[in-house]
Amino acid sequence: MDYFSIFEISRTGMALEKARLDASVVNLASMNRSTAPGTAPFRPLRVLSQALALDFQQQMDRAGGTELLQVVEQDRAPRMVFDPGHPHADAKGFVAYPGVDQATEMMTLNSALRSYEANMVALNVAKTMAARALDLGGTQ
Amino acid sequence: MIDPIQAAALADTASAAGTGASAPMPMADRFMAVMEREIAQANSQMVAADTAVQQLAAGEPVALHEVMLQLEQAKLGFQTLVAFRNKILEAYQEVMRMQV
Repeated sequence: MDYFSIFEISRTGMALEKARLDASVVNLASMNRSTAPGTAPFRPLRVLSQALALDFQQQMDRAGGTELLQVVEQDRAPRMVFDPGHPHADAKGFVAYPGVDQATEMMTLNSALRSYEANMVALNVAKTMAARALDLGGTQ
Repeated sequence: MIDPIQAAALADTASAAGTGASAPMPMADRFMAVMEREIAQANSQMVAADTAVQQLAAGEPVALHEVMLQLEQAKLGFQTLVAFRNKILEAYQEVMRMQV
């Protein structure tokens, strides 16, 4: 159990939050991308992850944390907007936009940022503790 | 949880890192083996951090936090080495100050 395993655990946490940010950014960027009728619309992405199935000692010995599983497409119904003049409008005059929920994505952005910061704080505390330990027996 | 530091640990790690000869190594060689291992570890951390920075500068898709993390690890490793060296030097000077 050394400080580097704490670093490694925090690293996995930060990698996960970065992946959540990536997914949300893609979702938001594609939010207003219309698709021609008959083609598959963009489906919102979501990051799947899970904690490594290790007990505390194993987490510390083998540097556990979270495991990034995959980025999956969510099965959300497209948002239909009535716009008969649009080149992508279907026979009834509706245009299909991806079923991205902007409020959810904004919340994901916020929570990803806060969790990233939390990981960072935990890591900084570990770093400070290590630096303090090195001061042991020092002149000051 | 935390293993107690034992006098035997130095000899064990030294022989593991050393030649593997059955005869016990002289104290100076053991000390050198431990010291060399510590220096090699700090050096490899610094080399890893250096590589990560180069990759980032070259525009390769490296996560920013990983680069920073490796830099911090290298820094901590080097600080540990320096603290180690300071302690040893202190002990040496203490011995040299002894009245004979």
